[in-house]
Amino acid sequence: MWITAGIIRRASSEEQVKMKEPKDIINRRRFLRGCIRGGFLAGLAGLTGGVTGRAKSQNTVWQIDPEICIACGNCATHCVLEESAVKCVHAYAMCGYCDLCTGYLMPEAKQLDTGAENELCPNGAIKRTFVEDPYYEYTIDESLCIGCGKCVKGCNAFGNGSLFLQVRHDRCLNCNECSIAAACPSGAFKRVDISEPYIPKKVGHA
Amino acid sequence: MKKNFGTLNVRILSFGVIAVALVTAVVALLRLDYIGEKGSGLGKEFIYDIESLTKIDPELLIYQESGGAISTGFTQSSAIAAQKNSPGRFYVAGDSAVKIFSEQGEMLDRINLETPPGCLAVGNDGLIYVGLKEHVEIFNGQSNRLARWPGLGAQAVLTSIAVYKENVFVADAGNRVVVRYDKAGNIVNYIGTKDEEKGIQGFVVPSPYFDLAVAGDGLLRVVNPGRHRIEAYTFNGDLEFWWGKASAHIEGFCGCCNPVNFAILDDDSFITCEKGLKRVKLYDADGVFVGVVAGPEQLTGAGQARICDLPAQCRAGGFDVAVNTEGRVLVLDTIENTVRVFNRIKTR
Repeated sequence: MWITAGIIRRASSEEQVKMKEPKDIINRRRFLRGCIRGGFLAGLAGLTGGVTGRAKSQNTVWQIDPEICIACGNCATHCVLEESAVKCVHAYAMCGYCDLCTGYLMPEAKQLDTGAENELCPNGAIKRTFVEDPYYEYTIDESLCIGCGKCVKGCNAFGNGSLFLQVRHDRCLNCNECSIAAACPSGAFKRVDISEPYIPKKVGHA
Repeated sequence: MKKNFGTLNVRILSFGVIAVALVTAVVALLRLDYIGEKGSGLGKEFIYDIESLTKIDPELLIYQESGGAISTGFTQSSAIAAQKNSPGRFYVAGDSAVKIFSEQGEMLDRINLETPPGCLAVGNDGLIYVGLKEHVEIFNGQSNRLARWPGLGAQAVLTSIAVYKENVFVADAGNRVVVRYDKAGNIVNYIGTKDEEKGIQGFVVPSPYFDLAVAGDGLLRVVNPGRHRIEAYTFNGDLEFWWGKASAHIEGFCGCCNPVNFAILDDDSFITCEKGLKRVKLYDADGVFVGVVAGPEQLTGAGQARICDLPAQCRAGGFDVAVNTEGRVLVLDTIENTVRVFNRIKTR
């Protein structure tokens, strides 16, 4: 039977002959059948992918490769959590312990001190502690850090790059489809083996 | 003839589907944000913006680039040197070699090294002094190695060499000290170690940039990068004076630790080179700011003033500088691994 303009009628002998016409002619029934087949195959592929992804995600976790990260700020805004699972961390072995720390102080800071107007982090998440002249230690208060990467940019641009972003696994939900990974412009967000869930920065100099 | 309105041509249908897929793919590619330019949606207080600091007042630009950039052929260049007794040529260290170029950019000779070099200098006698990670090697004009001095220890990171009469000064960023050698490779004394009685606070070297040179007045000039100044020492290690201040503005040295490198002109004025905000500037013999050789826009090319995106780019951003006999400034771009030549065009 054919469905034509909503009227169901039996195929005429002439139309039955047409059904045997060359394969490059397609009718609505054949097209519909193709669509159903295609949909079934796509569903099957999706199901397989989902099962594979779930199995894979049980052995891997999301992490940021600090050598590829450009600190764009997407980590702060794209995480499904209200407070992002991404935080700034500090590789102390790389830090210069500078008085004029460009990850801590505004580029045109009036004073090299802890005054809020001089601090780069809008949330005051970096703490500065005097060690000895002229060295200071910088620590991150993760409860205040939103993972915006502003300090990371400042540290990279002028300093040694000892501040960098990492996914904190006590917070991360390890979603199959991570919203931050989808929004990451540099491809720094990737899955790593669960046995090595962090990517520490390496010391590049003395 | 009866028409069949319920059929479609497979070829036309396939062509249509492929065309739509192609257009979609192209649009998707064009809309990709590879470097995060579209922004994260964060407020401006969360954005690190130093673009305004990259702008240089055109009145301050007293040099102009001449010719095109000269490719060194290195994948990782580290230092540049020129020598008054060898006019018309300059030396570049990088990868595991030193290359000698004519000023037109033609490579004249090459010295192969066992490990990557950190610094180099050329003596009046034409000998080439190369600082590798923790020791010095000396080569003659025929690329033969004449000497290999003992290393300064695993902690040493040699970043600069200067040869003056019978003295060779080596800056060791790892140990934050200047080592004075005689020409036979014997250590004569150390310069810059913390000494409260002498009023020496010690060198602050947060990153592996620690340059030195001997000025025409016979005093050794050493950058104290963490204190943003250039200090003058006698060869015996007495601190005479210093100049320089920390500031993101053009008169000062920006960031945590600058200048990274410098060179001294015949009139004892200084060409300084900063990282972060890449700026090459001229100071007179007393350290008074005179003008700009090149700012971020001139050094990064095509009117751009990007600081750096990837950490590796940031780390490679410490350009080196040398001056030749005609007073031209040679800037080694350690990111593009090219040499750019700047001529003075006006006085201030």
